[in-house]
Amino acid sequence: MAMVFGWPMLRYSWLSMHASSVLTGLEPVSNQGANWIRLLEDARFWQDAVQTLRFAALSVGLEIVLALAMALLLDQSWRGRGVVRALSLLPWALPTTMMALGWRWIFNTPYGPLEQMAQSAGLSPLNLLSNPDWTWLATVIADVWKTTPFITLLLLAGLQTIPDDLYSAFRLEGGKTRQALTAITLPLLTPYILIGILFRTAQAAGVFDLIQVLTGGGPAGSTESIAQYAYLNAMRFLDFGYSATVMLAGFVLLSLVIFTAAVLLQISGLLRPLKS
Amino acid sequence: MNRSRPLWIALLLIWSLLPMLWQLITSLTSSDALVNADIPFQQRWTLAHYRELLSGDPPFWRYLFNSSLVGGLSTLLTLLLAVPAAYGIARMAPASRRTIRTVVGAAALFPYVLLFLALLELAREFQMGNNLLAIALPYAGLALPLALLLLISAFEGLPNELDDAARLEGLGVVDRLRWVLMPLIAPATASTGILVFLFAWNEYPIALTWLSRDDLLTLPVAMARIAGSSIYAVPYGAYAAATVLGSLPLLTLVLLCQRQIVAGLTNGAVKG
Repeated sequence: MAMVFGWPMLRYSWLSMHASSVLTGLEPVSNQGANWIRLLEDARFWQDAVQTLRFAALSVGLEIVLALAMALLLDQSWRGRGVVRALSLLPWALPTTMMALGWRWIFNTPYGPLEQMAQSAGLSPLNLLSNPDWTWLATVIADVWKTTPFITLLLLAGLQTIPDDLYSAFRLEGGKTRQALTAITLPLLTPYILIGILFRTAQAAGVFDLIQVLTGGGPAGSTESIAQYAYLNAMRFLDFGYSATVMLAGFVLLSLVIFTAAVLLQISGLLRPLKS
Repeated sequence: MNRSRPLWIALLLIWSLLPMLWQLITSLTSSDALVNADIPFQQRWTLAHYRELLSGDPPFWRYLFNSSLVGGLSTLLTLLLAVPAAYGIARMAPASRRTIRTVVGAAALFPYVLLFLALLELAREFQMGNNLLAIALPYAGLALPLALLLLISAFEGLPNELDDAARLEGLGVVDRLRWVLMPLIAPATASTGILVFLFAWNEYPIALTWLSRDDLLTLPVAMARIAGSSIYAVPYGAYAAATVLGSLPLLTLVLLCQRQIVAGLTNGAVKG
């Protein structure tokens, strides 16, 4: 673990203080923080940072709401529940690259099913993958489809820890079924929701496969994520020093976001159920 | 809710399965029909994409084999490391256990994509590129935090007395682990193994940078390579056929092991 997690971070810190690119014959040469200055002035990096954040925020938000609905449904007992649970897990189990290409075909202009439908409804072409203003929403849809089952599982696990007696008692006291959701279910589920948000935010902030395959970062770089930019710098521009800088910066930004979120939650008192 | 439940279930299934069904339909549609809606219904269907895929060079089953090999090996390696380690950690004092959990939890959260560059350097240094056996090493390393979280919880669920009794009977630590504790945490081990396997099967950035020889690619890389060619020239029919064939092993796995996957994530999440 130290090798796989610790070493890279040390190596990046060192590399980020060096120029190591084609210009230097791929040998690291110290450049006194020039990488970091370049990063601060690099509009493309900041655009990617904003894109990564809005992608993470919207998809995680949607996923939580959707997963909550799914978990509530899958927690009730009805015939065939096991099979439906397994089937609803599938999107999460399949390789991201595989289904990203599947979505690319669905969003395809002009032959994808969505375009075809729009066409027969008499709408103008949607151009889902070539409109810089909207394409990021297509990536969000694909991500929500793919990872909601993961949160559903988490929440399902949480629902199963809530004893049925609580609901019976609530009904005896004259509470309505609908109110039970806000009075019992949501408060007791909060820790699970938070874990889900935490896990998914971290993963979404490192999004790579999905966008790489679905849009390649385009159109016009509008969907490029930080991880992708780091990848491009290393593998296409062969600028390893700067790539390391981008990755470190991405990591720092992510830590900041999670830290801020944790502080906000602490202040709002939402974390209290976790401590009991 | 009760009366509308079938509706909700139907919606859930449509949402989860429709994109995959669309792949199935596409894979059976001839290339001409994909771009021409006017071709009559009876003439749209073909198995050509599957034939093309299986007779390609290298043939498609090669990627399935590669992915299975890497997945199996990574899973084995991860469990071999994680089970003894989790046992050791679970027997520590509560304070050090909490510290270790925090560190391991942080590592499990870490977006590992950011590690690919340094890992690639290591691969070059130790000549581990283009080697399906070697790529199991970083996979095991990356899967270790999650495996540890799940297994530590499992070991903590066992009563200490059991371990003590076995010690009094004169069993060494290896024998205790092998004959007394392992059978008891078998379910947790199984679900951890499945999750690790899924991770290794689906992993992309590291496979992308470590493997370049055509006949060594894992499934996700082979798939993405089809996409990488050009935005307009993606052979969607053949690709969809690949998706269908590539999904079958996972489909089977998930349908068979649904219970273990749910249980595995549940335990780790509750305590992690």
